[in-house]
Amino acid sequence: MDETVAEYIRRTVLKIPRDDIKTMLQKWGFLSEAQLETVNFHQIKDNISQDVVQLCEENSADIKQAAVLDIIYNNIYPNKRIWSVYQMNKTGEETEFFDLTDFKKKFKRRLRSALKNVTINFREYEDNAIWIRIAWGTPYTKPNQYKTSYVVYHSQTPYVFISASVLRSNLPLLCQALVVASNYHDIREMELRSHSLNSLKDIVFKRYSQNFQTYCPRPLPERNVAPETVDLRIIQENRNEKERIQRLNREVFGDGPQPKIEFAQYKLETMFKSDPKMDVLDKKEPFRCLIKFSSPHLLESLKSLAPAGMADAPLSPLLTCIPHKARNYFKIREKKGLLPGSFVSP
Amino acid sequence: LQEEEEGPLRKSSLCPNVATSEGTEPGQGGLAPAFPLPGEWRGKMEEEKVYSQNGVFAHLELLEARAYEAAVKQEETERQEEKLARLKARVQELRLQRDELRAKVDLQQKGQLGKEGAVSNPAQPSARAVLEWKIKSLKAMLQIFYLTGISGKLSKRGVCFCISTAYEGTYLDSFHLDLLTKPEVRIYRHSIPTFIPLQQIAKKYLQTDIRRFLSVLSDHLNAYVGRRYQADQLQEHFSGQIEGTLQRNSLCNLLVFNYNVSSESKTFPFNVRLLYGDPCCSLPTEVVISCTPDAPASLAETAAAHSDLFRRVALHKVFRSFSSAGE
Repeated sequence: MDETVAEYIRRTVLKIPRDDIKTMLQKWGFLSEAQLETVNFHQIKDNISQDVVQLCEENSADIKQAAVLDIIYNNIYPNKRIWSVYQMNKTGEETEFFDLTDFKKKFKRRLRSALKNVTINFREYEDNAIWIRIAWGTPYTKPNQYKTSYVVYHSQTPYVFISASVLRSNLPLLCQALVVASNYHDIREMELRSHSLNSLKDIVFKRYSQNFQTYCPRPLPERNVAPETVDLRIIQENRNEKERIQRLNREVFGDGPQPKIEFAQYKLETMFKSDPKMDVLDKKEPFRCLIKFSSPHLLESLKSLAPAGMADAPLSPLLTCIPHKARNYFKIREKKGLLPGSFVSP
Repeated sequence: LQEEEEGPLRKSSLCPNVATSEGTEPGQGGLAPAFPLPGEWRGKMEEEKVYSQNGVFAHLELLEARAYEAAVKQEETERQEEKLARLKARVQELRLQRDELRAKVDLQQKGQLGKEGAVSNPAQPSARAVLEWKIKSLKAMLQIFYLTGISGKLSKRGVCFCISTAYEGTYLDSFHLDLLTKPEVRIYRHSIPTFIPLQQIAKKYLQTDIRRFLSVLSDHLNAYVGRRYQADQLQEHFSGQIEGTLQRNSLCNLLVFNYNVSSESKTFPFNVRLLYGDPCCSLPTEVVISCTPDAPASLAETAAAHSDLFRRVALHKVFRSFSSAGE
């Protein structure tokens, strides 16, 4: 077995949290149950990885199998990377018959015709997600297995989720190969980025809870049925206001959990409006300003702003439109009032 | 109002560029109305004949303002009349109700005095019972609408539709569409999966025939859900009969898998490729079954029979028939 492959497997195993190593190796399926039984998964990770490499040596693993293990790791821990969403366009109206083998063949052919030194691996998952792992090389060097890009594509949808690596120069090549393989015409990057891949999927596939008004006979969410210890001496003065805020919040955010994004960025290119007598800026040019909201879970925190009393309800539509407009990077230019610039309908 | 404007419009010696409309006689000094005006106006017209020559447009403006005032007054009186009529009707209603209640009270009093211990009229349901019955029948009505597959509710700015899908008696997913109706019908937000060609269907039918739009969309969704259900059932209940994995896609309109067919105590793998050409249909339009070259010729017949079966019968039912026939 190649030294580089051995080292790569060792490092991949080291990344995995100790309690999950066994399950992940089982998912990998390259080592038999009997072999896995021989490894002590309670020792320190260094030793575990050494044992695993030893076993792989016995089975003569090559880079393809090692890559599969890497895909499995990234599929279970996708939140370690930042994912961007790309949208593809096409003008034709024919029904799509997405053929997986066809897709894989076209993708590999297109990519390899431009750059021979790439390692390409595919893995399909139950939810129709196709994971593609690409390790990039250059025309003169072999692919660097530590400089990888990941692509997640759901067949027959116009959205692609890409976690590019450091080498952004290979991105146009990757995009082209995707467009050709999936029978679309062009591709562009959406202004939507996050660590949470599933949340990005929820946003563009419209799987998050939108509050639709319907008569659907669905049980109403359980409100506090048991009244809090009713002490008649306590009077809720602001009950109406609280209920109003709750109602507005529910209308905007829906009932379910919000997709998880970590930041929203607003780039202002608007004129500074000040008292004309103050004359802060003599030049009449836009006041450039960048506002970034970050949070471990931005949308949930926005949802709790009004009930916590920190903001007025309803919140600014610039904040609440994030899942609906499927973007978290905005450019606000001078228009009649503050309106976000070029918008895309997802 | 239009006619009043055109009537007096005519060339005046001081304003050579004023357009004339047909039907007026040139050469007259004053403004002659094209049709008889109410008495007071005629008087005012006489007054202003002298000044009309200086500003035809000013005069027009004056007339317009007067007409507007008259219209407002008219509207006001109409509104008053309407209100009056409404209130009168309400009074009638209330009088009727009062009479009814009086009659009821009289009846009850007579009944109590007359027969004590008698059973109260069972046909008089209590108000609460009536309300409960109303709620129940309303819920049943809404349930019926929901079961028909397409139900809607008016929202603040338009309509919100709910398309519920089902396949052969099993209710499956519900999808929602929030439509705005002004200034034109358009989709505000929705929960339709991205691989359903919603934009295409909307472009064709949304503006012109909304019923057709909903019907076509519902067909697409029901067919998709039906195909997905069949594929899921196959994977869940008949995975033993499938070799390897079932290759599918998001729309479930192309399925490829292998299964074994036994003949003469040997098993041969069949490779099936099901193509669902019609997006509104949950049965395949094209079935391609291929077998390995070493398969006996008799299997060709079986392949043809199976192919026909796949085209006519739901996927999981086909396999159910296989397993029952085999055992």
